[in-house]
Amino acid sequence: MSATSGRQSRREAILLITPGVALLIGGFLFPAFQILAMAFVPATEDAGIWSNFARFFVDGYYLGVTERTLRLSVIITAITVVLGFPIAYIIARSGPRLRLVLLIMTILPLMTSVVIRTFGWVIVLSRGGPLTDILHAAGLVERNFALLYTETGIVLAMVQVLLPFMAITTLGAISAIDTRIEEAARTMGCSFWRSLWHVVLPLSIPGIVSGSLLVFALSISSFVTPSLVGGVRLPVLAWSIYQQATSTLDWHFAAAQSVFLLLLVMAIIIPYLALMRRKNG
Amino acid sequence: MRIAAYGLSALALTAAMAGTVASTAAAQETLVINSFGGAYEDAHRELVIEPFEEMYDVDLQVVTAYSADMLSQLRAQAGNPQFDVAHFSGGQEVIAAEEGLLEPISRDELEYADELYDFAVEGLDNGVGPVYSVAAVGMLYNTEALETAPASWQDLWNDDYAGHIVLTDISNTYGLLGLLMINQVHGGDLDNIQPGLDAVSELLDRSVIVRSSPEIQQNFAQNDAWIAPYAQDYGHTLREAGLPIDFVQPEEGSPAVFITANVVAGRENTDLAKKFVDFSLRAEAQIGWAEALRYSPTNRTAELPEELAAQVLYGEEAMANLVTFDPQVVNDRRSEWTDMWNRMITQ
Repeated sequence: MSATSGRQSRREAILLITPGVALLIGGFLFPAFQILAMAFVPATEDAGIWSNFARFFVDGYYLGVTERTLRLSVIITAITVVLGFPIAYIIARSGPRLRLVLLIMTILPLMTSVVIRTFGWVIVLSRGGPLTDILHAAGLVERNFALLYTETGIVLAMVQVLLPFMAITTLGAISAIDTRIEEAARTMGCSFWRSLWHVVLPLSIPGIVSGSLLVFALSISSFVTPSLVGGVRLPVLAWSIYQQATSTLDWHFAAAQSVFLLLLVMAIIIPYLALMRRKNG
Repeated sequence: MRIAAYGLSALALTAAMAGTVASTAAAQETLVINSFGGAYEDAHRELVIEPFEEMYDVDLQVVTAYSADMLSQLRAQAGNPQFDVAHFSGGQEVIAAEEGLLEPISRDELEYADELYDFAVEGLDNGVGPVYSVAAVGMLYNTEALETAPASWQDLWNDDYAGHIVLTDISNTYGLLGLLMINQVHGGDLDNIQPGLDAVSELLDRSVIVRSSPEIQQNFAQNDAWIAPYAQDYGHTLREAGLPIDFVQPEEGSPAVFITANVVAGRENTDLAKKFVDFSLRAEAQIGWAEALRYSPTNRTAELPEELAAQVLYGEEAMANLVTFDPQVVNDRRSEWTDMWNRMITQ
């Protein structure tokens, strides 16, 4: 009797999971493998299967693009950690009503398209924009100064776009910390800042880690914000892939770059996760 | 009795439904076409798409896809095309025709072919569709910032304009044509674009490079831009947006962008698609393009009012003075040039 119902529930589970799995195979895995295969098809007949990858390494250009992509992603991730943690802590420790307001304020930007938010930044960062005016009025920059089309501009805009992901993920970890542990630390004579540093921060590491992985993966593959704010003279990998696919129509090289980007992300994420698992387990 | 009545009404209902289905199927043929979005697509609908739908009682499905995207889509769908008519503005029809993605059109299949300038129908022999509009690349400039209009391509190197120049990336058709024209003015040709690249590299520190039309508008509106080599039609868009912008054709000439309507190969409705292409060539529609977006007509019977004629390149002589670059060579070299360009501009 129980065996029958067990088999039946398994059959139901399979039925339930089928549409999702079918969509994943047809809509994601199949095209992804197609791209993987395309990367190994040589552009000319006498070239080897690695020729598309070799092109990436022949001179400093694409490595320079990769270096910029990686460097910006690391900086963006670091800044979101520094800004995201206090936001998450304040939300976690505030009263229910304030908490709701803060949560909505954090999540609300996600309701607007990233393109719209980026165009907002383009206006703020351009020569006639408010930020430039303030800096100019303070005597810090010349009249012709603009943060638009600079790496600083990309970082500013990307941090704003990605901060909610970090704050929300860290919030999950901080909310799970028993407030009595903090109270215990305080009654033992720990100052607020020391309890934050020695108690709350270590306990919220899992949230910070998953938040920074999320932000890192999103920023290394981001396309809209770097291309609009950074412009053509500061290319990142995702833009380079887009250009090969749509402008020069070199799909094989675009595929090779996509595979390279994927490997890059995995090379960073997998050891990171393994390290965290060992530390926590 | 009652059962019989139900049976009858059910029968009548089925018949009525069958009739409806049959009549829609017979009357409503469908063509899938691309257009370029925004104001272009609005004008396209008004001048060509909607009148055609009415005249032939067909349903036109319009997909917004720019030329490069359109070519990518046609290639991806090579075995099973999803479009009937493909519009291109960047010479992509030449590649598409060479790859067998387009259905050749013969001159006598087009009622309006005889009314067009020769350059507009020359491509038919190579399997590409006719040119139904021309956009010319020249200088857009801010009339409030510049006292005198720029007269030459060389004016871009005027020291007074430093910091106020907007150039367009090679991934944009107008940007590519601007580069080729600069190259020609500096003594280069399609076999050697180094003179053009060298000339542009002198401008890098005093200009910004953008990719798309909206970014040009944004630079004129917010980033204190004064001068940009770009297309005549976009000058009109900027004026409509309230910016003090004029277009001039430099003395060395203007590269031309041909906008073509092409029939996609391997579809069932190619006859109807050809009718649609033909319909795009009417003088009436071409005057409408000039009015709405400042594109030059390719139909020599299209007469523009004087005021309008002053704002676009117009007439037999102006058309003869357009600078064109061999699209085949441009398409073959584009990837190589893009690579050279990217390396030159990247910081």
